[in-house]
Amino acid sequence: MIDSIRQFIFSSLREMNYDTDGIDDDTQLGPRGADLASLSLAELAVRVEDEFGVTFSEEEAEELAGKTVGEFCVIVAERMPAPDAEAAPTAEAASKAEVS
Amino acid sequence: MDATEVRQVRAALLADPEVGAGNVLPKLIEHGAGPDGPGITFDVEVDGHPAWEPLTLGALRDRVAARAAWLHERGVRPRDPVAVYVSSSADCLLNFMALTWLGAIPALMNGGLPSAIATGFIERLRGTGVITDAAHREILGDQPVDVAIHADAAEVGTGDPARAPGYYRHHRDDPIAITHSSGPTRVPAAVVHSHASLFAAIRLVHLESARAPERTLCVFPAAHAAGIISTQLALCNRHEHMFLSAQGGQGGPVGHGAQFNSSGEAVLDAIERWRPTGVYGFAVTWSELARFDLSARDLSSVRLWFNTGDCAHEAHVRPLVAAGSHVVYTREHGATLAPGSKFIDGIGSSEMGHSAFRVVHTTSTTRYGRCVGKPYPFADVVLLNTADGTEVPAGQVGHVGLKSPTLALGYWNDSVNTYRTRFGGYYLTGDLMYRDEDGFYYHVDREIDAVDLGGGDWLYTSMSEERIMMRCPDVRDCTVIAGRDSGGAIVTDVFLQLAAGASEDVDRTPAVREALGEPAAGTLRRVVAVRDEDIVTGPTGKVRKFLMRERHLARTVSAAG
Repeated sequence: MIDSIRQFIFSSLREMNYDTDGIDDDTQLGPRGADLASLSLAELAVRVEDEFGVTFSEEEAEELAGKTVGEFCVIVAERMPAPDAEAAPTAEAASKAEVS
Repeated sequence: MDATEVRQVRAALLADPEVGAGNVLPKLIEHGAGPDGPGITFDVEVDGHPAWEPLTLGALRDRVAARAAWLHERGVRPRDPVAVYVSSSADCLLNFMALTWLGAIPALMNGGLPSAIATGFIERLRGTGVITDAAHREILGDQPVDVAIHADAAEVGTGDPARAPGYYRHHRDDPIAITHSSGPTRVPAAVVHSHASLFAAIRLVHLESARAPERTLCVFPAAHAAGIISTQLALCNRHEHMFLSAQGGQGGPVGHGAQFNSSGEAVLDAIERWRPTGVYGFAVTWSELARFDLSARDLSSVRLWFNTGDCAHEAHVRPLVAAGSHVVYTREHGATLAPGSKFIDGIGSSEMGHSAFRVVHTTSTTRYGRCVGKPYPFADVVLLNTADGTEVPAGQVGHVGLKSPTLALGYWNDSVNTYRTRFGGYYLTGDLMYRDEDGFYYHVDREIDAVDLGGGDWLYTSMSEERIMMRCPDVRDCTVIAGRDSGGAIVTDVFLQLAAGASEDVDRTPAVREALGEPAAGTLRRVVAVRDEDIVTGPTGKVRKFLMRERHLARTVSAAG
């Protein structure tokens, strides 16, 4: 799953006209790395939200500047609904999957 | 502004450990910021440069170098404390930068400080010089100010920039500014900031954040830590930055006795003229704006309101976030503007150096009730029981202890208070807060204003004010004062500043009683509608409850007698 998230982030960055040469898992999204502008970070967050069914609060989107590509992939993967969420036996389990 | 240059300059500042609050301007130029890029815009003329017309970075450098040359030729040297007692933000900030250029220690005084207090403050500095404008020389009048160098703010700009010495090489712990707290009474505390402390939040948070083109309007008092930080932040991020001379005034002198009554309109006029994306101010400014129907003004440029100092009231925040705009991104339409802005509340003080907490309010958020959010990552916050030094559990009110790289060094020439405010390695901010199970902090009161009702019950005046305002929508602002009457019983008086058109005849006592809750409601003596001038405020607009308590008790004694 991490691989497909990473692939999606890279293709999004290219669509957003960012040069992805030299960007890898250890590259920060903010000024110490890819230097995405504030609006670009918001755009990337929305693209990822649409694609993977996760959500970020405004504060979390701002904090993405300090995350590396690898860390961002892990955050997305952790937030994604569990594959068996639809078949979740209890409402409690489904709610936990959403939160975590 | 070219994005590549912004990126390179920010990266160079981050990578240079010598950069601090004392040398932002020369370091920017050293690291390649172009002279035609943004400097600062003032609402007054600067050495013949028209008001409201941006000073480029190059022009700003020249105006600062001219002052550095003039002051150096008059004998100002490193470590010399020099008081700056002026009206305009230009005189304040340009002299701040010139004095730090020389390694001297500017002591920035709020232009609203009255004569006797200003003289006392300067005396306590044991300084080398004082820079005044004509209005403040008049305020000082015949009061003796015993310093070697008396400089006229109108003259210092006549120096020759080419004759300025090289900028001073600060160590991170060097003092680079003295600002003052609003002070509950008498001569305010002189707070000393270091080269590293006043730049720490910019280095640790703001330069690490994603860059964004911004245009800021600063309504902080220039002679305040927040005024310095916001200006340096704008310079480092290469933002267009406009600094008003009053917390609402239009460049007019902020002399003795200046009030903020009409300042809301001036701020709104400035927003319509400057079209900022961000407006920075203290709680007093938002209280002033609450007088106006914001929908009648064009505030569409504003995406962000930033508050520091006291925590802002929900009743003042909600109309602000309903105004302005924010950028939304959708796959269908890309980036578009939608109505509604963001309000960042960052409770802080001169001593804290930068807000230690942060909470974001928007039209869709509901976390109010004096929630100050969570601490910044650089801030180590504890809520203490100062009786035994232990931390209080979630849900229980404690004294705020702070360890932070932003903290001021202490109080100038006042070791007693420097050490009195230290506890177990923490700085005691003087605030009372509790924390919920999710890690959000809530400010209930200043320690000196809270009243022990006995049996474990307390009356928290700030939290009471918040609750009263939420229950009485026609109350624009509110001050709760509690103290002991001549018989020793605790009594509470509630002073209401009503919104325009609100009737004084409405009995708001039941709502106030409900807001106070028991047992505090049992101490309620009177609820009165007052005029703004009945509320005692300091030069930054902060209510001086200490003085109001004195007045309130005097009245009690007089009534009893």
